[in-house]
Amino acid sequence: MQSVAEAPGNSIVEINQLRKSYGANEVLKGIDLNVKPGEVIAIIGKSGSGKSTLLRCVNGLEVFQSGSLTVDGKPLLHDSPAAMRALRQRVGMIFQSFNLFPHLTVGKNVMLAPALVKSRDAKTGAEQAKKLLARVGLAEKFDAWPDQLSGGQQQRVAIARALAMEPAVLLCDEITSALDPELVGEVLRVVESLADEGMTLLMVTHEMSFARKVSDRLIFMHQGRVHEMGPPNELFSNPQTPELKQFLSSLHD
Amino acid sequence: MVEFSVWDIFRNLLLALRWTVVLSLIAFIGGGLVGLSLLIARLSKKRGTETFVAGYVQLFQGTPLLMQLFLAYFGIALFGINTSAWVAASVALTLYTSAFLTEIWRGCVAAIPKGQWEAAESLAMNFGEQLRYIVLPQAVKIAIPPTVGFLVQVVKGTALASVIGFIELTKAGTMITNATFKPFVVYSCVALMYFALCFPVSLYAKTLERKINAVRR
Repeated sequence: MQSVAEAPGNSIVEINQLRKSYGANEVLKGIDLNVKPGEVIAIIGKSGSGKSTLLRCVNGLEVFQSGSLTVDGKPLLHDSPAAMRALRQRVGMIFQSFNLFPHLTVGKNVMLAPALVKSRDAKTGAEQAKKLLARVGLAEKFDAWPDQLSGGQQQRVAIARALAMEPAVLLCDEITSALDPELVGEVLRVVESLADEGMTLLMVTHEMSFARKVSDRLIFMHQGRVHEMGPPNELFSNPQTPELKQFLSSLHD
Repeated sequence: MVEFSVWDIFRNLLLALRWTVVLSLIAFIGGGLVGLSLLIARLSKKRGTETFVAGYVQLFQGTPLLMQLFLAYFGIALFGINTSAWVAASVALTLYTSAFLTEIWRGCVAAIPKGQWEAAESLAMNFGEQLRYIVLPQAVKIAIPPTVGFLVQVVKGTALASVIGFIELTKAGTMITNATFKPFVVYSCVALMYFALCFPVSLYAKTLERKINAVRR
């Protein structure tokens, strides 16, 4: 099903025959995926198809049983804290439930990890945090607490926080699913601007029109496999498999 | 027969109160340190630690403190080590306190949403950093009321050390009763002193709770 030509070697994320199970229940049944730098990939599929699990495997939040995964040429080794620390500095993640640290101000949320992991000094860290918050349109919220912000604002802080680590790849796990409908747009606009600036994005999403507009490649997952993959327009207008056809038609009901 | 004034009784009880305070402090600090180490060991998910800590907690929660004091007092002696009531009471109370505290704190850590760990982990923080900067600061806030509640129990629990001959407030009360034949007066004074010890602790906890919550705003 790998219709899109992929030159191995210059991939930023390389996934080979990745298998993952919870007990006897295999949720990922041999995933192959190469992501080129700057590529925007949208992953769609029914709940339980393994799309979130796949994303969480990329930064090691989930442990997989077999197969290999490399980011920026660095293999993912669960048992090596040093390797995981190196890898996670290259991979940022944004969650459905934002997961801001409620006991820290917005500014500290953004500055904490770079200070600890990259030993960035306080002054540089604050400057960078202000710059990133301005980029997501929240410059004035530096000293605010997370619970004073709307969901959309919290999610944009979470994006700034992830960017502060200067990742090469950003994973977005249904980042607008917990938002009120009127707040979805402001978050998607930020993501779109990141895509325009050349950030490599892997996103699980239910926003089909957004996926169609922004992504370079669309992946339809079904029962733990990459069921169909290709340019979004092609997949949306001309789905090849009955499963994708059914999935797309169910969206319009 | 010698007459004892209420002041005589009170004064002598006050002298014994010191040892209740010292024993309580030993139990707090020792139990707190051991309890925290056990908590960290358990959270690190290293092989076997979870079972070990769970067993440890069950052992000390499932047996009376009185028996633990006896066993510490007579048990350590079995190994040919010369124990005093001091050592036995300190050891028993430290272990007892640590078992309860580690379990209380584990509950507080478990109350922190999993997403907090995951967000910290995704930002490349290691286990120690996740714990120190993200999880513990949030857990401490919810841990204060149950921790203080238990520490008040420990203050009162030190009374049991009297059975192995440790002269603290309760033991002193018994001895003074035997000399004065005024059990009601003596034990009233003893009860008052326990209250005077425990009440400020609870009061301080309330202030602390308010202070920690105020930092946010």
